[in-house]
Amino acid sequence: MAMLNRLAIRYKLIILLGLSGGFALLISSLIMVSSMYLTQSKSSMQVLHQLTDVISENMQAALAFNDASSASKILASLHANPHILLAIVTNNNGQILSQYQPNFLQAERAQIHKQALEQILKERTPQQPDQLLEHIQPDWMGVVKPVFFEGQAIGTLTLLSDTQIMWDEFRKFVLMQILASALTVALLLFLSLKFQAIFTQPILNLISSMRTVAQTKNYRTVLESDHKDEFKHLYEVFNSMLVDIQERDDRLFKLATTDALTGLANRHHAMELMNTIINRAQRTQHPFGLIMVDLDFFKTINDTYGHQTGDLVLQETAKVLHDSAREYDLVARMGGEEFLIVCDDAPLQTCIVIAERIQQNLANHEIEYAPGCKLNVTASIGVYSSAQNPAETSITAMLSAADAAMYQAKSAGRNTYCVA
Amino acid sequence: MTWLTPQSYANDVETELTAVFIGRFASYVEWPASEHRHFVITVLGENLFDAKLDQLYHNKQIKDKPVKVRYAATLNQVARSDILFINLQTASDRLSAIHFARQHSMLSISTARGFADNGGIIQLNIVEQKAQIKINHTAALDSGLKIAAPLLSIATVLRKKQP
Repeated sequence: MAMLNRLAIRYKLIILLGLSGGFALLISSLIMVSSMYLTQSKSSMQVLHQLTDVISENMQAALAFNDASSASKILASLHANPHILLAIVTNNNGQILSQYQPNFLQAERAQIHKQALEQILKERTPQQPDQLLEHIQPDWMGVVKPVFFEGQAIGTLTLLSDTQIMWDEFRKFVLMQILASALTVALLLFLSLKFQAIFTQPILNLISSMRTVAQTKNYRTVLESDHKDEFKHLYEVFNSMLVDIQERDDRLFKLATTDALTGLANRHHAMELMNTIINRAQRTQHPFGLIMVDLDFFKTINDTYGHQTGDLVLQETAKVLHDSAREYDLVARMGGEEFLIVCDDAPLQTCIVIAERIQQNLANHEIEYAPGCKLNVTASIGVYSSAQNPAETSITAMLSAADAAMYQAKSAGRNTYCVA
Repeated sequence: MTWLTPQSYANDVETELTAVFIGRFASYVEWPASEHRHFVITVLGENLFDAKLDQLYHNKQIKDKPVKVRYAATLNQVARSDILFINLQTASDRLSAIHFARQHSMLSISTARGFADNGGIIQLNIVEQKAQIKINHTAALDSGLKIAAPLLSIATVLRKKQP
């Protein structure tokens, strides 16, 4: 069983189909062979019966007149049948009137047959016209038939023949059966090899797809199946599982990359994206810029209007920043009331335009923190441009420069921007 | 032509076998249709059987008719019979009996040597308790009797030579 468990499903299926077919074949063959043996032995016995009937009919007159010479002549006709081993005619006193024994039969063998016959006759003696005795052994079979005259038994005729014809036919049949079985098993194995794919191919396809998904992490894969059976259900369940994984991944990705309050990219994700953007810009020698935004007096807003209003201010500011930046700029919340905009493919002038647009949009954007209660916020902005600092390659240094410019704007009275 | 005197039976067993065989011959012989109620066996001449025939065929049937056994010392005493067992001493008497039997469709049987050769239908000899049968088939046909093949197959059969 352990060895079977180690085998691939395709081989298990082949073995299963082969064993099932083989057992069915074995049982049917055994039944056929048994049936053939019974039929053949019955048929051989019937032939012997017919011969006995003919001989006994001819023997009637010889027995009626105790004519041994005629009886011998009648029995001599059995010479034409090489399978007759012994024929004996006895009168109603049990005396042998005549007997036939082929020349080829050894005396010792004939004696054995006679003794066996005597044993049979000792056990049973037919008394009625239709009462026959028959006996079959592996190497011979015999029939004892009473001969009647005018309704009275006047003797018995006993014929013994070999079973060669029966065994020859039986051997032929068994040989044919073996050949037929071998062909059937071969065909069965061939069909098993062919048809196992019906069951194993969808499973193998599924395994292959699962491996691909595991390697590529592409959980948006949809597996197609032409099957209308349980395999279709299996594929549907697998596809459903992939959708669940994708949705979970999306949620996890969002949780890992997005700031929960504002919906902007969080600091960690911003650093990763910024790294990619800056590397590409340096490779393509395109300018880029960093805009560091810090809300003015945010602590006061928190203290005055509460954290709920503070959160609302942060959310509204995020919207303004998002609307102020270009579509392909990265807007992220770096922490607290500090935001960063990474401007890809942007010279200093473009960065300044964006910074000014932020100031303008913040000034125009009223935040309704309670029904009928509104406030405006301002921000101090530090602008860093790679075009102004071509020797700088460290992201940390670039951020520090933008940060310093932002604090410079704070020092300059807030609600303004400075260029690093 | 010389008639041989019938031999005496060696013993009672052979006599009894003869008595049995006389009846058995009837099973293989077909007589012309008749409306007689009995199947008659007549012993013509010396009765060798004593009472054996009477005992053997008492209450027996042959050809679905009850058997009647009669005895006749001379041919004049023979009435209608189906089987005529001839045990006469002289050849001339036996010849007369054979002619008589042929005229009346009787199955003539005898143990006399040369019986079949001289026109009798069945000559029966018992040797060592085994029957030796000689049948004059031509005589049977002349008598209107048909003898079945199984009996002919075990007998020595005399037939009329073809011209």
